[in-house]
Amino acid sequence: MFSVAKATQGQVVKSNQSKTLVRFLRYRSSQIGLALVLIYVIVALFASILAPYSPIEQHAKDRLQEPNANYWLGTDEFGRDLLSRLMHGATNSLRIAIISVALACLVGSALGMMAGYIGGLFDNAMMRVMDLFFAFPAILLALTIVAALGPGAINTILAIAVVYTPIFARVARAPVLSLKTTEFVQAAQAIGARHPHILLRHILPNALAPIIVQITLALSWAMLTEAGLSFLGLGTIPPAPSWGSMLSESRKMMEIAPWMAIFPGLAIMLGVLGFNLLGDGLRDALDPRLRS
Amino acid sequence: MQRYLAQRLIAFIPTLFGISIVIFIVMRLLPGDAINAMVGTSFKLTDAQIAALRAYFGFDKPLYEQYWIWLTAALRGDFGFSVRSGIPVLPEILARFPLTFELAILAMLIATTIGIPIGILAAVKRDSTIDLAGRLFALIGLALPNFWMGTLIILVLSVAFGVLPTSGDYTDFVQDPVTNLKQLFFPALTLGFAFSASVMRTTRSSMLEELRQDYTRTARGKGLKEQAVIVGHCLKNALIPIITIIGLETGYLFGGAIIVEEVFALPGIGRYLLTGIAQRDYAVVQGTVIFIAFNFVLINLIADLAYAFVNPRIRYD
Amino acid sequence: MKRTALLVLVWVVAALIIVACATPTPETVVQTKVVEQTRVVEATKIVEQTNVVEKVVTATPPPTPAPKRGGTLIAARAADATGIDPHKQTAFASFRMLELIYDPLFAFDKDLKIVPNLAESWKFSEDAKTLTVTLRKNVKFHSGNPMTSEDVKFSFERILDEKTGAAARSTFAGIDKMDTPDPYTIVFNLKAPNAAILSAMTNPNSAIIDKKAVTGGADPAKVDVGTGAFMIDKWDPDRTFTMKANKDFWLPGLPRLDAIEWRTIPDESSILAGLRAKTLDWAFINDPRVAIRAGAGGSTLNISRAPALAYHVLQLNAKRPMFTDVRVRQAIACAIDRQEVLDTASLGEGEVTGPATPPFYRANLNDLFCYKKDVDKAKQLLADAKVTNLKFKIMAATGEPPTAVAEAQNIQAQLKKIGIETEIETLELGVYVDRWLKADFDAVVALNGGNPDPDVMFYRYWHSTGNLNNVANYSSPEIDKLLEQGRAVADPEKRKPIYIEIQKKLTEAAPWVWLYVGYEYRVGQPYVKGFTPLPNGSLIYLRDAWLDK
Repeated sequence: MFSVAKATQGQVVKSNQSKTLVRFLRYRSSQIGLALVLIYVIVALFASILAPYSPIEQHAKDRLQEPNANYWLGTDEFGRDLLSRLMHGATNSLRIAIISVALACLVGSALGMMAGYIGGLFDNAMMRVMDLFFAFPAILLALTIVAALGPGAINTILAIAVVYTPIFARVARAPVLSLKTTEFVQAAQAIGARHPHILLRHILPNALAPIIVQITLALSWAMLTEAGLSFLGLGTIPPAPSWGSMLSESRKMMEIAPWMAIFPGLAIMLGVLGFNLLGDGLRDALDPRLRS
Repeated sequence: MQRYLAQRLIAFIPTLFGISIVIFIVMRLLPGDAINAMVGTSFKLTDAQIAALRAYFGFDKPLYEQYWIWLTAALRGDFGFSVRSGIPVLPEILARFPLTFELAILAMLIATTIGIPIGILAAVKRDSTIDLAGRLFALIGLALPNFWMGTLIILVLSVAFGVLPTSGDYTDFVQDPVTNLKQLFFPALTLGFAFSASVMRTTRSSMLEELRQDYTRTARGKGLKEQAVIVGHCLKNALIPIITIIGLETGYLFGGAIIVEEVFALPGIGRYLLTGIAQRDYAVVQGTVIFIAFNFVLINLIADLAYAFVNPRIRYD
Repeated sequence: MKRTALLVLVWVVAALIIVACATPTPETVVQTKVVEQTRVVEATKIVEQTNVVEKVVTATPPPTPAPKRGGTLIAARAADATGIDPHKQTAFASFRMLELIYDPLFAFDKDLKIVPNLAESWKFSEDAKTLTVTLRKNVKFHSGNPMTSEDVKFSFERILDEKTGAAARSTFAGIDKMDTPDPYTIVFNLKAPNAAILSAMTNPNSAIIDKKAVTGGADPAKVDVGTGAFMIDKWDPDRTFTMKANKDFWLPGLPRLDAIEWRTIPDESSILAGLRAKTLDWAFINDPRVAIRAGAGGSTLNISRAPALAYHVLQLNAKRPMFTDVRVRQAIACAIDRQEVLDTASLGEGEVTGPATPPFYRANLNDLFCYKKDVDKAKQLLADAKVTNLKFKIMAATGEPPTAVAEAQNIQAQLKKIGIETEIETLELGVYVDRWLKADFDAVVALNGGNPDPDVMFYRYWHSTGNLNNVANYSSPEIDKLLEQGRAVADPEKRKPIYIEIQKKLTEAAPWVWLYVGYEYRVGQPYVKGFTPLPNGSLIYLRDAWLDK
């Protein structure tokens, strides 16, 4: 990957996209981020093939085993294989993160762009409603929603989506405000283009960069939040493996089975790190002014 | 300045009002019932007893009337009392707030004392070993889930040293500062770690921005000492985004420290809210939510006002 | 630089302002100081009586070194009392505090045999319909008021008054009327024979409260109106509950401690840490995993295990279509290895039991239906019932008890082996209770409260008129009849076979799969002495405890 970036460096790059890609790949941290995310996604997608055991099968005789040749990362109090649970935990975590962020991004960006485009009372009302959400720490808001609705994957997705919707609305609204007054938008309006057409065809492509950056950051936040909610017993329902609930189960066993506390946390950290690095890299690449 | 303050405070009212309505309705739409949650599975009340309890708490009145009763009382500073324990909500909140507040402030202190110097050094000596180490620290800090870090701290302390940060029996700072700080050090460190990572990042990037500016070159050109340039000129101007991030994050901690409170079993305000929700204890949830939102917005306001002190060119009129 | 200093100043000032606004004004409960004239009672007589009584009541053998007096016991537990009105509490956590502050008429000794407490003696009439209780004459309330039969009558009237919302109201609904022929005698006239009423009069739900103080305006929800060995000093809910010794306690020389300071530490791992760091003297712990750690690696802590009365159970809802056929329920009972549930969810810390958990009434497990796992039989039963692809949901409350979700997971894995698919539903306690009371579930894992008296344990669930029968959702005329019989017999030896029979019938009908009882753990420093734990978890014998240091 690195050599590809080097090779293209000297050449004249024509299209905008490839320039961005080159900028992105030039940074070693972006490469590490991309690699981590790729590993994470591959494990998540192919957990059922890669995992040596079923994540929920209980081996009553092999309870609380240290990492060994049969169970690479050891077993829990039910005799379930930790490695298999971690792998399936990636599936769970990725599924929840992607669906919730997709929801938040679609609803939030649409609302934000509409608010910015229509302006006036609609914009004002919309932003005041969004302010209600900003008056509350994000993690606590998510917790409150799940504690109220009850645990479970769907409610966790809803909670994360609700928390992130106003953020996407804000991110999507800002560029629309400035793009609205640009010549090409006004020209499109003058020739009688319909508003949805203008929004999707002319404004969206130009407002996409900050939204894309926000998506990667939102994914990392969603992973962390799912783990946090499950840690409190409010997220994923057992026996489905979740990194957060595995960590929470491990706390009571800490001195008897420390391996149960170490691996799930490491998995969360590396996953979040991957998305953060990817997000940083994308931001630098998409918006060179922010490069630091 | 005063006008700005007044405006901000007034803008604040509809927000709180909106939050109170939303939370009021949501709590009552939820499945689960305060009375049953209180009574538990051991006994069963007769319908008449349940009706009597409902009437006692005013749950038999129409929703708007209940809200009106709650609102008028709340405006007088009475947030009602817990269905479960019969204890007034506001004193309970205030009894728990010092812990949460202290945690947030300690975490902030840790974050600023670690984050700002490292951030400045990293910016000044860009791409040096210090810069790389600082950036690595920031990356790990932001990715390390605080509940895992807390768990690991407890694990290391208990396995390696056979001791644990005792918790739960929180001692007031005023009563016994030493015990208090001993109890809160590890929770605050856990919170402060990620916090200092974001302070460091912000400091670094905003310092880099300032170092690039023309006035910096001018100042250097005038032969000012490097230290004077950095502290006197750059840092002063770089402070605004740093203050914003400190304000935001501290505000978060007033309610968002909940998971760390849970890990270290500290009786903070977030935990009070969660138990309140689980028990469908309406007054507790309403009071706590309003209180947290109030603090959160207030801290952001304080951060805004702090700009004016840092940079006199900003005027709020 | 100046600006930076100013900025710091702003933060400090802001911090100070907010701290100042938020100075805690904890709602503390102050006991009433209603000073009343105390009647002088003949001193010699009291001494005689109490000497006799002490031998009966003190369950501990006299400790070899002479007990020392004084000192404050720093104790901890995970959950605080939810309130202090003794008649309204239902949580075990509240009982544990209030049984030190309030006295009921009777108590249990270490074998769960009923002994008199505020009562001096009692007598049942031949037909078990009239209970005559003679009261102790030297009992004073914390206010200084002497306790008389009027207070007893008042207390039970308050419990029976629907407006009070007393937890034990239905338990005592069988009281027809009460007579007080003299200040130290009270007669309970019952509508029907009820030998189990005595054991219902042993906990704070039937505490005797101070009539004079309460009619004078004292609210038991806010102030202490009891007679117990300890008095409320200061209650800061969910943080500390401080009790001081009642110097006028009716057992002379007790309590031995000057005070107990209870700390609420929700995470039991932290309680253990406190014990290791010696910041705590004593604690009670529910989570077996924490208890195991407490004893690990050269620990000097004293850990006592007593099998609890509360039992872990898988409740099947016999009214749900999939469970109407008894063979399906039996198949589930046969497919579950109870010891494996105990081993995984509680790390083996407990005992597999039948439906009745008081030691005296426990049945021999070999006499009960399918107490040995029998997969072939389970499969055969399902085949006979012509059931394939059975699916149902198991409901569990998050963290209540802490083992619930683990039990559900193990049961799920075991049932899968006979082809039954289950889904676990975890709910917040509030929602869980709501649905539990409405019997809105297929199956549920629960920790149900036990009782030293099997009638109290069984009647409310398994008699067709029991107030929780619609939760249990199963009854049979046969069991109804046996339960009525058990109630009318006062002699324990004659009652036992009746309740063994009931247990056989219940396990065979398999409306529930009774699993196991955990242990009650008391963990303390070696210098805490003199305490006797009871299987029902009661702490009343903390009044005997002392500190050897």
